Amino acid sequence: MTNEKKHGLSSAIIMGLGGAIGFEIFALLNYAYFDLAGPSMISALFFCGIINLITMLSYSELSAALPEVGGEYTYTKVAFGGFISFMAGCLRWLASVFGGALAVVVFVEQLGVLFSVFAPSIQDLVLANASLLIVGLVVILIFLAIRGVEEATTLIVAAFLAIFVIFLAMSVGYTLTPQNIAPEASPGSLVVFFATAAYIFPMFVGMRALVAGAPQIKNPGKNIPRALIISTVLLTAVYFVVAYVAVGAVPLETTETVNEPLLNLAASTIMGPIGAILFAVAGIIASVSSVGTAMTVQSSILGGMSRDGYLPKALLKVHRRFGTRYIAIIASSLFVIFFGTSGAVEFLGYAASFGSLLVFALVNLSLIQLRRKMPRLDRPFKAPFYPLTPIAGIVMSVLLLTFPVILRDVNAESALLSSLGLVAIVLVTYYLRMVKREVDFNRLRVAVGGISLGAGVTLIVLTPVIVPPSLSIIMIIVALVSILAGILNILASARKID
Amino acid sequence: MEIRRILPVIIGIAQGVIGVLFAVLAVMLFLNLLEVQTVFNVPSELIPIYLLILGLFSIFSIINGYFLIREGRR
Repeated sequence: MTNEKKHGLSSAIIMGLGGAIGFEIFALLNYAYFDLAGPSMISALFFCGIINLITMLSYSELSAALPEVGGEYTYTKVAFGGFISFMAGCLRWLASVFGGALAVVVFVEQLGVLFSVFAPSIQDLVLANASLLIVGLVVILIFLAIRGVEEATTLIVAAFLAIFVIFLAMSVGYTLTPQNIAPEASPGSLVVFFATAAYIFPMFVGMRALVAGAPQIKNPGKNIPRALIISTVLLTAVYFVVAYVAVGAVPLETTETVNEPLLNLAASTIMGPIGAILFAVAGIIASVSSVGTAMTVQSSILGGMSRDGYLPKALLKVHRRFGTRYIAIIASSLFVIFFGTSGAVEFLGYAASFGSLLVFALVNLSLIQLRRKMPRLDRPFKAPFYPLTPIAGIVMSVLLLTFPVILRDVNAESALLSSLGLVAIVLVTYYLRMVKREVDFNRLRVAVGGISLGAGVTLIVLTPVIVPPSLSIIMIIVALVSILAGILNILASARKID
Repeated sequence: MEIRRILPVIIGIAQGVIGVLFAVLAVMLFLNLLEVQTVFNVPSELIPIYLLILGLFSIFSIINGYFLIREGRR
């Protein structure tokens, strides 16, 4: 007889750390340190750890009470059902797509760093053909994901921790001079501090991998909450110390002379060429492993939503030989290639963060809703200080979403706009898919007609300001067609609704 | 009466074609085909915003056009 719930507390902690420790540390510290907060980025890491811990308490309660496969999608489905769960599934999928795209960019970056040590001419070749390498990597990983290759999470976590320990051990005796770790108490620097926290937040969110693996854990009511809390504390400590050493070893003005990721610079400063090679190899392994994980997660989310009727059934198709959802894997991977070839690390970092923060807010909302809706549900673990913890989780998630925009960071604005746009597409897709009654269909037509009318009017107003005179006539024709189409749709549908 | 059926179809087709053209433009801008980023003088940091606006306008135009064509063919 096989026992499905086979992992104990230590395996659960490794699952949490394995989900979180990854390529993000190579990608996100750069911009956070050199362009945003400087040394106070270290405190932002600590702050992220606290936010993560608060939401992990909600995750703990929900995963212990509902230990089925599906994570956030399942919690929101039980709590709210319908649109909210669809939205949570889509946001989780989007965050994973942006994360996967960021990972492929990091892969190319680290490959470049690796070659820079012993073959600078190949480094130029790598950077010049970044898009080609990204497509090649994703195609190889699609084949591996379809074949259902197992990942060596424990091995990767152990290797990472070993590299970090060597790095920290060699930094002893090295003169480290990080200054101004705490943010200044002025409104301007606090905005930068919170914007930095929002940007580096994806370094923590992978911990929810532990929640996804809940059905395989022994005594989940006890072990999952403990594992989540222990791995959050461990992760925050590791990040804090590694960032402290890196910031101490690499002065802020270095960016003007060297264009290399912070962690790689710190490694080569402290450990020499061996350090540069070691960290570049670690970055490559981490990014490849993360893209593979992202593909599995994305296919699982799409499959779940397809099974519930929100997405086409084709996404459920299983490969005859390997038993994996190959259409879902290929569909998600195309998005990873699309965003990955943009090479925009900062944009992708914010986009992954925003998606995850919105999911965190929805998980906290689900906790509150479930406490009200199903008070007698068996809860082996209860989030302490309820309702303060989920409310704090929601408030902090929303605050982190807003600070980068207040800072007027163009990458954050682009990411937020893209996320909102994709949410709008999700909204329309949901209604197109789910509306069955004629009256609902007509309401949808009025809404789409209204959007078209508004877009047309906006275009007419903005054309003299933003469109060159040579294109003005074309844009006015486009605007007039949109206005007319909008009016026709609204009139025809409004009559039927009445 | 005939004009009431034909007009939505014509406007719907025009709107759908505009949507498809905007989608093509978005892809060209993303891949910088025919140097469109330079031709339209688009700063690289604003490309995601341009892509978003073009993508959204394209999707809503195609849906809007589809509804009108469907109406006219009924």
